[in-house]
Amino acid sequence: MTNDEAKTARAEWGTRFGFLMAMIGAMVGAGNIWRFPFVMGDNGGGAFIVAFLVLLFLLAVPGLMAEVALGRYSNKGVIGAFRDAAGPGGVVGFGVVVLLVNIALMSYYSPVIGWTLYYAIHSLLFTFTASGFEAVAFMDAMFANGPLVVGLHTVVMGSIAAILLLGIRDGVERIVVYAVPVLVLSLVVMMIRGLTLPGASEGIAFAFTIDWAYLTYSDTWIAALGQALFSTGLGWGIALTVGSYLREYDDVPLGGGVFTAIGESSVGILAALAIFPIVFAVGVEPDAGAGLAFVSLVQVFPEIPLGSLVAILFFVGFFFATFTSGLLITEVSVTTLSEETGFSRNQTVIGVCGGIWLLGIPSAWDVAILNYLDFVFANWGLPLATLMIIGVIGWVLGPKRLRILSVNQNAGIYVGSWWDPLVKYVIPGVMLFIMGYFAYDNFGTTEMYGGLAVLVLFPVVGYVLMSVVDGRRSPAEATEVPGGDD
Amino acid sequence: MSLTPAVLGMLAFTLLAFQGVAGLALVVTLRQEGRKVELLEHQDRIDTYSPKALAELREWIENNPDDPLAERARRQHNTCVETLRETDRRFYDWSDEEIARLERL
Repeated sequence: MTNDEAKTARAEWGTRFGFLMAMIGAMVGAGNIWRFPFVMGDNGGGAFIVAFLVLLFLLAVPGLMAEVALGRYSNKGVIGAFRDAAGPGGVVGFGVVVLLVNIALMSYYSPVIGWTLYYAIHSLLFTFTASGFEAVAFMDAMFANGPLVVGLHTVVMGSIAAILLLGIRDGVERIVVYAVPVLVLSLVVMMIRGLTLPGASEGIAFAFTIDWAYLTYSDTWIAALGQALFSTGLGWGIALTVGSYLREYDDVPLGGGVFTAIGESSVGILAALAIFPIVFAVGVEPDAGAGLAFVSLVQVFPEIPLGSLVAILFFVGFFFATFTSGLLITEVSVTTLSEETGFSRNQTVIGVCGGIWLLGIPSAWDVAILNYLDFVFANWGLPLATLMIIGVIGWVLGPKRLRILSVNQNAGIYVGSWWDPLVKYVIPGVMLFIMGYFAYDNFGTTEMYGGLAVLVLFPVVGYVLMSVVDGRRSPAEATEVPGGDD
Repeated sequence: MSLTPAVLGMLAFTLLAFQGVAGLALVVTLRQEGRKVELLEHQDRIDTYSPKALAELREWIENNPDDPLAERARRQHNTCVETLRETDRRFYDWSDEEIARLERL
């Protein structure tokens, strides 16, 4: 669009493509590559896809529209957006919850990015195709080597800080417009390689065989629900932050909602098409998580023609997937804290990245701590953040007001009133259900108590903090309280 | 396990539902972006609401005149109306008759 920087002092995406790639880069992470394919194959294949697609359109697409629209409506980070929606006071503290969850999430995600960096480097060194290479021993040695992972975590946070220091357009956008297409291209090339191997059809059959009975199992819907909510990053403050940098005439619902939710999920489908044909062609058991990426796949690369090159494509793409997510997760805190404090963006970048680095050291040192935090925040922290954002839109600002003022302004598609009850009732209800379900499923475990601590402490800390902070603001600084509902 | 017609059908459906929809959304939104750029090169602003969305905004303002956000809504409504009157090319599908019937609030 036109160079209209003069209209606003706030940064903006330079291009529409930059915004879209930022959304995809943020939402496509490790889960799309090492979790989605196995979950799909293990939950009825085609039946899972149907359930997943229904939930994407029911929850993720409207939810992402709402979150991006709130960002565009306020042109502020998480706390500023909450203040615009609810007026100054304790409720703004629920934005602090989102911020705390993001910082906690990034503290243990950075070491995961470090793992993918380590494997990307070793793929370039042709380690995996060297004679005598042992995949399990190699992975276990990495996890057991605390100083190594702390070093990788340091490199990751240092690199993220360096890019964020360059700003939204010259830093984040310049990276994502290349990293996301490289990731997609890597998976496409890997898919073509896999599909041309003898026995590849077994992998396709594993992923896409339809067993409709799975649609009657609650486990299938819970797995699809988890994937639709967590994979799309709905309600984590990322979409809100990315949306806050939209330009004056940019659309929200088509790019921020439909394209982001379906586009990021299609990377998971692509990963299934890239991974399973190769895994099955070589006769290795499919797996999920680190076992899939760091053991199963590493074992098959030496067995296939051009395996070294496929390994490089996969691990470099995998690293880009995790790194761009880390970049945008960190940007949430940087944007918000630079607005809420007297610090410049550069000072905030250093402070936030330094703080996350410090908090991430235990997770980098001991994988058991990382696993514990991942379990607690994936099951309760992230749904809590989603509940806060969608809750403030649905019950404080009001979905109809946001829809007519922001969602449908400059929109590429018209969003009708069907959207309002989804945002007000369905998504918050689903988030409450999922937190309750996980609590029931893990009743009495240390993870459940950790989750309870997050559910209670984060909102209390946020509420008290912002009651004090906003209470000190002069009346002139206080924005008008919109309040009410539609 | 083998590639039965059902598996291939599911694969085709999946590619259409995910890659197809995502690709279509990407092409449409980038084309719309191109159209907006073209309009902004010709004139310094463009209409911000479709006829249906503007009618809904207007109805909401009329039904909620005392809402704390009514002033903002009114401003957005009037900006769109003025732009439609003062520009000769539109992004959304507005007819001259529809524009003639519009009034500032």
